[in-house]
Amino acid sequence: MRSFVVASIALACALQFGCGKAESPPAPPSASSAPFADAVITEPGKQRWARTCAMCHVRGEGGAPKIGDAAAWEPRLALGEAVLLDHAVNGFNNMPPLGYCMDCEREDLRAYIRFMATGGGA
Amino acid sequence: MSRLSRRRLLAGALFAKVFGASITGTAPRIVNAAERMPSSESLPWHNWSGGQSAQPTGRFAPQTEDELIEFLGRASGPLRPVGSGHSFSALVPTDGHIVVLDHLTGLRAHDPATLEATLGAGIRLAEIGPVLEEVHQGMFNLPDIDRQTLAGAISTATHGTGLSLNTLSAYVSGLRLVTPSGNVMELDAAKEPRLFAAAQVSLGALGFVTEVRMRNRAAYRLKKTTRLQPTEEVLQDFEAQARAHSHFEMFPLTHSKYASVQTIDETDEPIHNPQPPPDQPDPYDELMRALVHVPVAARGAMIDAAVAAAPQSEPVVDVSYRILANVRNYRFNEMEYSVPLDAGAPCLREILRTIDEKQIDAVFPLEYRYVAGDDLWLSMFSGGPRASISIHRDARFDYRPYFDVMEPIFWKYGGRPHWGKVHSLKHDQLVKLYPRFKEFLEMREALDPTGRMLNPHLRVLFGIAT
Repeated sequence: MRSFVVASIALACALQFGCGKAESPPAPPSASSAPFADAVITEPGKQRWARTCAMCHVRGEGGAPKIGDAAAWEPRLALGEAVLLDHAVNGFNNMPPLGYCMDCEREDLRAYIRFMATGGGA
Repeated sequence: MSRLSRRRLLAGALFAKVFGASITGTAPRIVNAAERMPSSESLPWHNWSGGQSAQPTGRFAPQTEDELIEFLGRASGPLRPVGSGHSFSALVPTDGHIVVLDHLTGLRAHDPATLEATLGAGIRLAEIGPVLEEVHQGMFNLPDIDRQTLAGAISTATHGTGLSLNTLSAYVSGLRLVTPSGNVMELDAAKEPRLFAAAQVSLGALGFVTEVRMRNRAAYRLKKTTRLQPTEEVLQDFEAQARAHSHFEMFPLTHSKYASVQTIDETDEPIHNPQPPPDQPDPYDELMRALVHVPVAARGAMIDAAVAAAPQSEPVVDVSYRILANVRNYRFNEMEYSVPLDAGAPCLREILRTIDEKQIDAVFPLEYRYVAGDDLWLSMFSGGPRASISIHRDARFDYRPYFDVMEPIFWKYGGRPHWGKVHSLKHDQLVKLYPRFKEFLEMREALDPTGRMLNPHLRVLFGIAT
């Protein structure tokens, strides 16, 4: 029912107002080589990851790139460390600031991004 | 694939097709610019919506209660506990230390006879359901979102829906409180009834809650049905429906005559709860994002026409915690007030009328529900059941033009603000709304005479000068 309503309104909206997607596409990738290559996750860090980032990045909630999904992570990594860290710290689209990790510091977030982008093998 | 999933996927595909074109509307001002990088090495703190921020001196995340006590002995300056950052009000921001209780977690004990369970206070609500299920218990109720920590939820009188169901705070049967001076207090209604009543909803102003004992019930299943119905029609029969169902609430669609109505009741039917792929964008979220670009005056007819032709949805059945809470990925800011039951319908009508008359840009549905009364000092529901009304605004946009118009309406009907949501009330107004407010402040003064647990927001609430 809800989807029916959504689709009906979407159609009417598009026909009458030419509505498009509200989200802007990501900025074009900037040059960056092997971002987060030196970031290292610890065993306690993995446990904390499982209670924070994992809430969205395992199942892909809200469009979050899944752990190990290279195709999803590649364009994000191409944005470079500074941009990706800014998204993690300050939030971006559906991503909440700090990704529910209230005690994470910069190196923790760097390690988690690499951990997820490399499929948990980092 | 289930019928539900097929419809959802179909809607998603149609949505992507018709919304794939470029935007022609003018997007409202975006306030959460992405260029905010921290100026120092210490990371800034923001809440879930991004509406609250702080640059704390540092963060401390004790692994044990003893580590917390040791820290309190050596740290100086202000201290604020943080849960998962889901409060929209400024309860956390401090230039002192933020204390993260995430590591004080897990199920620590349970009693099959009394159906109580003792949990680390930093456990998230979403984690509680599965661990209680293993010991055949279930929480009486949950809020709509379950990513908050237990300590954060009870400290703000977080609640779900149900005329016979209380806030989470009221189901606390005991807790451990570490005072700002590092003393550990074990509180319950028998040992320290006054302090316990204050600590059940404390805004994190009395110290650090490290462990919570919850009254639960035997694990159970729930059946949820959802339908679309004219808002006025629902309001006419709301109290009878709220008494007939375990949970009854509605989400009035702004700029529309309709509401999404939800009933939840206990059942022993087999589990049937088809889930869409989590990485598929929620078409409803996408729709709200797109409606931002439709002129406000045109939204109502568009929504009403679609709703009138909508088919019925099928009920879902699952264990309680999978039915009660929802994943909300679309970030927003929220204001919520609770008014006396008989003021609920007129208050809601005035809010909806004002949105229409002033052509306020509000794409998020409202939420309207009843919650049972209690006797906790700072509970919004102390003294009797109330009708809770929530309004929301996309987190990317400034909520003030909307909320500033709505808040006086809540006041007019005797509303009490949700402590974790946006409001502008100060000490002089709060004292009149909460009969035990002064007692709470006396208790706070006794436990924290130097005001280490205070931040600017709490000073305003409590009438304490800087």
